[in-house]
Amino acid sequence: MNAIEIRNLTKSFGPKQAVSGLNMTVPEGAIYGFIGENGSGKSTTEKIICGLIHPSGGTVKLYGKDHTDADVRAGVGVLIEAPGCFPNYSVWNNMMLQAANLGIKNAEQEVVKVLKTVRMEGAASNKYKNCSLGMKQRIGIAMALLGNPSLLVLDEPINGLDADGMRIMREVLVDVTKNGCTVVVSSHILGELEKIATHYGIIRGGKMLCEMTAEQLEASCRTYTALQAKDMSRAKALLACKYSRVEQDEAGYIRVYDAPSPEEIVTHLYENGILVSEIKTDKIGLEEYYIDLMKEGK
Amino acid sequence: MQTTIERNTFGKRLKTMLKVDFRRMFTMPLLYILVGACLLMPIAILVMTTMMDGAVSVDPTTGVETVIEGFDSVWQIIGSVSGDAAVGTQDAAAGMSLTSMCNINMLYFAIAVLVCIFVAEDFRSGYAKNLFTVRAKKTDYVTSKTLVCFVGGALMILAFFVGSLLGGAISGLPFDMVGFSAAELVMCVASKVILAAVFVPIYLVMSVAAKQRLWLSLVLSMMVGMFLFMMIPMLTPLNAGLMNVLLCLAGGALFGVGLGAISNTILRKTSLV
Repeated sequence: MNAIEIRNLTKSFGPKQAVSGLNMTVPEGAIYGFIGENGSGKSTTEKIICGLIHPSGGTVKLYGKDHTDADVRAGVGVLIEAPGCFPNYSVWNNMMLQAANLGIKNAEQEVVKVLKTVRMEGAASNKYKNCSLGMKQRIGIAMALLGNPSLLVLDEPINGLDADGMRIMREVLVDVTKNGCTVVVSSHILGELEKIATHYGIIRGGKMLCEMTAEQLEASCRTYTALQAKDMSRAKALLACKYSRVEQDEAGYIRVYDAPSPEEIVTHLYENGILVSEIKTDKIGLEEYYIDLMKEGK
Repeated sequence: MQTTIERNTFGKRLKTMLKVDFRRMFTMPLLYILVGACLLMPIAILVMTTMMDGAVSVDPTTGVETVIEGFDSVWQIIGSVSGDAAVGTQDAAAGMSLTSMCNINMLYFAIAVLVCIFVAEDFRSGYAKNLFTVRAKKTDYVTSKTLVCFVGGALMILAFFVGSLLGGAISGLPFDMVGFSAAELVMCVASKVILAAVFVPIYLVMSVAAKQRLWLSLVLSMMVGMFLFMMIPMLTPLNAGLMNVLLCLAGGALFGVGLGAISNTILRKTSLV
């Protein structure tokens, strides 16, 4: 069964169309990386999934039921924009309030458990307003995890997290999916997302550009040969005459896409009097794939 | 460890919601500030008006002399005897005397402050976002907020009453009951407390409509509250009877249900963030 199934979703704010005819399918147990530029409609879609915004049209189903169904809603954990905490309350009290809202009977044990999960048990007595941005994000995740949700919707959860925080976040998200939870996570830090996501959805201008599994993405990511030579500008010009796509990356390497083999490139340059000092083959990552996709779209 | 979640019935949901809202209300400094102000305000008013009673002020531009009139008895700050109420209202409209303005009826505006801040804080902090994601029933929220804010408002009114007694004792004003009995005074205070149930749903509608825009909810609440302000002395005179209490109770129930339904609709039909 699909955890989320969205068909022809539209949402407009006055004359502005934030989401237009969006289709989205998130399989149960997936970590769904939801990617898009600022203002592409990611947050609006997530808010609609969580029942915070009413769609102008289309259907949103969570586990086969309408997204407004009370029983389905009770199993949704959410972190959108910022954790909903009272600044003058302690972390513990904020967590206990949400536990009470969820109707968790063994609330104290549950709060301790989720705080431990995000390594925040030591900050329970801190006032929320005194917590750092990274701590607040972790508290938000802990709050979303309360009550063992079957669906987690996280909007930019790794914003403000340090390296350790990001690692913890990855571990937490992978762990929860092992228990059958589905995670929808949007982020601009695509390198981090690539490490955990099993499915991707790329949105642009309120429309879904493409949805794919991690395996499909892997297959779509082109292989390239990166090299450095004595005379870089001449080498680039020579290669550009022979191969369809030649670029120089930020690190100064010449990238040749769709070349049959590195040996052929080395031989071609050698025959033209250019010595190659370094050569390697690699694949473009999610970030580059996404940027390419956006460029193609434009 | 297995997480156990209680679900379903309206009663159970309301119980947990009330628990959370009462905990929030009673840990909120604002409540204590408002209740404290309600306690001190009548003391300050009674003492100061007694001190200034009979003093003459002259308008330097027109030369018109105005005699400042204080309270004749402590109970004037609580209300007026019906029959006098209409006269009192005319006086208030004409001269806006201290005694007609500075009385317990002001508190119905202070209740707006309590309700608006309490609700706006839910939306400003993002708590409403967490709440409505997991709790689809807006009725729980509206019912719980109405009941909790009513209790807060009732506490403010009772604090004002206690403050009036203390103020009367300090200022030396007479406690004479002219035209009403002690039982009627009790009915008057009870009806004033219950009347808060009429105002709370009004303020709640404005607050859920304005959401995190506190200024807007306050302005709207004050404006709408103003229309109902004149009915307070008529519904809750010092010589109130059981009928006054029942009228306030019926009004509270009617406004609670009717305006509660409107608040509920606003929450269901509008964006919550």
